[in-house]
Amino acid sequence: MTATDATNSEREGTVDRDDVVLEVDGLSVTFESDDGPLRAVREVSYVLRAGEALGIVGESGSGKSVTSMAIMGLLPRNARVTGSARVLGQEVIGLTDAQISKVRGERIAMIFQDPLTSLNPVYTVGYQIAEAVLAHRNVSRAKAMERALELLELVGIPHPEQRLRQYPHELSGGMRQRVVIAIAMANEPDVIIADEPTTALDVTVQAQVLEALNAARRETGAALVLITHDLGVVAGNVDRVAVMYGGRIVESGPVEEVFYRPRMPYALGLLGSLPRLDAGRRERLNPITGTPPSLSAMPPGCSFAPRCPLARQQCHEEEPLLLGVDEHGDRVSADVTDPAAHSAACHFSAELGESSPADLFRPARQGAGEGGAAEDTGGDRADTAPDPAGGEPILTVTNLVKNFPIRSKGLLRRKIGEVQAVSGISLELRERETLALVGESGCGKSTTARLLLQLIRRTSGEVYYRGQPLHTLTPRQMRPLRRDLQLVFQDPFASLDPRMTVADIVAEPLRIHGEGNGSARRRVGELLDLVGLNPEHGSRYPHEFSGGQRQRIGVARALALNPRVLVLDEPVSALDVSIQAGVINLLEDLQDELGLSYLFVSHDLSVVRHIADRVAVMYLGRIVETGTTEQLFGAPAHPYTQALISAIPLPDPVKERTRERIIVTGDVPSPADPPSGCRFRTRCPKFANELSAQEQVRCVEEPPELADRGSGHHDACHYSEVVELI
Amino acid sequence: MLVYTVRRVLGAIPVLLLASVLTFVLIDLSGDPLADLHVQQPPPDPEVIQLQAERLYLDRSMPERYWLWMTGIGGNGDIGLLQGKFGPSTQSATYDIGANIAERLGVTLRLVGAAMVFALGLAVLTGVVSAMRQYSKLDYALTFVGFLALAMPTFWFAGLVQQAGVSFNELVGTPFFATVGDGTYQAQGLSPWGRFTNALAYMTLPTIVLMLTSFASWSRYQRTSMLEVLNSDYVRLARAKGLPNRVVVRRHALRTALIPLTTVVAVGMAAIIDGTVLTERVFQWRGLGEFFIQAVEANDSFALMAWLMLSGTTVILANLIADLLYGVLDPRIRYE
Repeated sequence: MTATDATNSEREGTVDRDDVVLEVDGLSVTFESDDGPLRAVREVSYVLRAGEALGIVGESGSGKSVTSMAIMGLLPRNARVTGSARVLGQEVIGLTDAQISKVRGERIAMIFQDPLTSLNPVYTVGYQIAEAVLAHRNVSRAKAMERALELLELVGIPHPEQRLRQYPHELSGGMRQRVVIAIAMANEPDVIIADEPTTALDVTVQAQVLEALNAARRETGAALVLITHDLGVVAGNVDRVAVMYGGRIVESGPVEEVFYRPRMPYALGLLGSLPRLDAGRRERLNPITGTPPSLSAMPPGCSFAPRCPLARQQCHEEEPLLLGVDEHGDRVSADVTDPAAHSAACHFSAELGESSPADLFRPARQGAGEGGAAEDTGGDRADTAPDPAGGEPILTVTNLVKNFPIRSKGLLRRKIGEVQAVSGISLELRERETLALVGESGCGKSTTARLLLQLIRRTSGEVYYRGQPLHTLTPRQMRPLRRDLQLVFQDPFASLDPRMTVADIVAEPLRIHGEGNGSARRRVGELLDLVGLNPEHGSRYPHEFSGGQRQRIGVARALALNPRVLVLDEPVSALDVSIQAGVINLLEDLQDELGLSYLFVSHDLSVVRHIADRVAVMYLGRIVETGTTEQLFGAPAHPYTQALISAIPLPDPVKERTRERIIVTGDVPSPADPPSGCRFRTRCPKFANELSAQEQVRCVEEPPELADRGSGHHDACHYSEVVELI
Repeated sequence: MLVYTVRRVLGAIPVLLLASVLTFVLIDLSGDPLADLHVQQPPPDPEVIQLQAERLYLDRSMPERYWLWMTGIGGNGDIGLLQGKFGPSTQSATYDIGANIAERLGVTLRLVGAAMVFALGLAVLTGVVSAMRQYSKLDYALTFVGFLALAMPTFWFAGLVQQAGVSFNELVGTPFFATVGDGTYQAQGLSPWGRFTNALAYMTLPTIVLMLTSFASWSRYQRTSMLEVLNSDYVRLARAKGLPNRVVVRRHALRTALIPLTTVVAVGMAAIIDGTVLTERVFQWRGLGEFFIQAVEANDSFALMAWLMLSGTTVILANLIADLLYGVLDPRIRYE
């Protein structure tokens, strides 16, 4: 995965272009819209060599995907593309559709984000792979199918002969993404562009798909452009990085250089706003204030200037060029063909030196706005965290079970089976504590959250709030208690009624619980202020706010009735990194200030490590391990927890490439038919590699109970062993 | 698939039964078949009325009449849907509803079939072209035509088309379009080519009238469906594979965009059957539409019910076919 050697000749100035497979030069994309032209990509230039991997990092709207679509000629009609992109010396910008279709798939292939929608539902997997072969090779159908089979084997799909004849809906997301990778490598292209190839997948599956992608590269020798917002994925998989912001590349260089010595405040800010698996709990995050610029109203100078703590007069007036810094600290023009060159689009990049994100972005005083938490003390708050053993239990769950019926398709819709979404879990949420419920999609964590709030009916088990049983209450009896138990949703775009003003949205719970108009209005002002929004913006509608601000509105609504417990269902997973940090800080501050208890449902272990006091890991409806955050991340005992932690990419190139990995194979089994005994055994690396046949019998026959390892650290594995992973 | 088909066919039976009850009750409540006799001047002999009532089974209770209509058991041998007999007619004692339907069915099916085929073909074509050239002048023009067609009342448009046909014939000096009649009689004894040109002359104008509304709504639907598919990830991936544009459009976009249209077309059957009533009247075809109007005018309840049951069955059948077709077209809904 390295291509940083053999480049000395170029530093001397004799540029060797023989091994350049993709050269992008001054590429710009403008969309015609009713609001005038939107400049989505501006003057992007980069060079990709044979076998090299380039990461393009940026938040949504930074133009990272549009750049690649422009190279592939896949942009809609209203896009105007200028500049140049040469694939193996051939210009591809401005080609007719017939001309570029000879290049696509043959020399340059692409992998898209969502594997669930990337394949045509009406054709078999084999047909769709063979089609890619037939598009460029004059071979028989049978030959193409043979090649499809070979490709499926290469990307690691079990039973490829059967899979060939199946339709996409019969395959899991991870498998479908591997099929897309197989299609991309079908004709051994020189360049593969992967646009967020693992964003829609669970972490353990992400690791498998990245492995398949690397296998594809080894096999075809293709160079890779990896587009992602995930700094961890970039750190482990590319040689060079280009950071995009506001449609431009604002920093580029070898991955270690950019991660350890960033020269652009934005890159530094991104790294600082990231909750990290390898950082301590509750180390204060340093969000970047403000929101990314709107494409229709770009600032005249540096597009990052409005959010940059270093910004001076010059930054607001003059757009900085992408330049390198020489040994004297002067900004000099960088050679784009030099893979070791590190350049940044910042007038003052030389001044950045070795500063840490905290030096630059820790706010001295807090104003209202995206990055602003209500009350930012600025310090780490590990010291203020409650003693994990202390605190009265506020919400207790014992042996909670939820079965969903599977019904027949006929007229009578008879019940023909059951899905056990939650099968017998026990939890305890304590006063002023954050309990995180983590697991991959389909593990039952969101169902559990809804069961706790009595939003859906349990099948069996008990839920107590402060000693009072909730599971026996009628909806009417439950209503007064809903004041104390509130919910924040995942999607800030879907959870706010677009036709209500923000003030009405926040006041709705107050109205339902009988608050008068005047006092409700006062309270709304207080609440908006509390979550760091301008109270005067109450008369606006949700679409006028950014994602992070909307999530703050959602939090304000949840806080309206002074609840004791907040259930947060993936509250930051829909937000960009720089925005997410601000919301996390807000949640932490609110907890300290208001003494709230959080049940934090999430798939993101980095965020959980940062925010939680205690963690419960779920797999297929069961809790497999629970303990304090330190116990769970410092000494994970269950093989599943270990696999989860080891699958999360660290945003640190050296650590990420040298750490030990525990790889989980396969996909999560169907909850309608879970494996006997231990539910994890079908994917368990310990079961497969370490246990003897006699030992395995126990895993197959006897479901493991949660057992105490001492001091409140429980795990459900017959043969658990603590491992240190971070 | 076979099991599913059988189950769906069996499932249609209760629906048909319910339709028969509704049809019967509504028609029964909607008027007295003997009303004409009652108001006739000079008043007819009460005995005549009595005989007529007995012939039409009006002397029996409503549930009894329903039972008779369905099974024919206890009747005079001229009634019983399950025996294929539709009941006596008010129009005359010799008027055979079944024979009349059989005679007219072909005429109407010819019109409905042609209208369906052309409406569907043209709708798919314009929908695809519109979607591929979204927001172009052509798209705007086709959109305008579509909404114009939707907005035009059929009875008025039918008259307009007929008039246009007449004017065209006058202009070219030969009867190019036949504007009156269904051409069944004229086709007798002609060569195959002669029958074809004869059909062309008689069918062109009514087909245009009957297909217009369906064509307009289906083409709008196809445009939306096609647009959605054209913007989908899998069409983008198909392009990224290097497939030429026409293959992408035909194989990946059109193929999947047709799936939802099957349902719309099945539901649209009802509208086409509706349309035949007006179209046949305007062009004076002796089809089932004309049969329906005659039945209404004559207060012929058994004939009306026969027509309603027939069109109801057709609509249910069309939906059944659409459902099965869906399973064939979309592997995600393939049945056991």
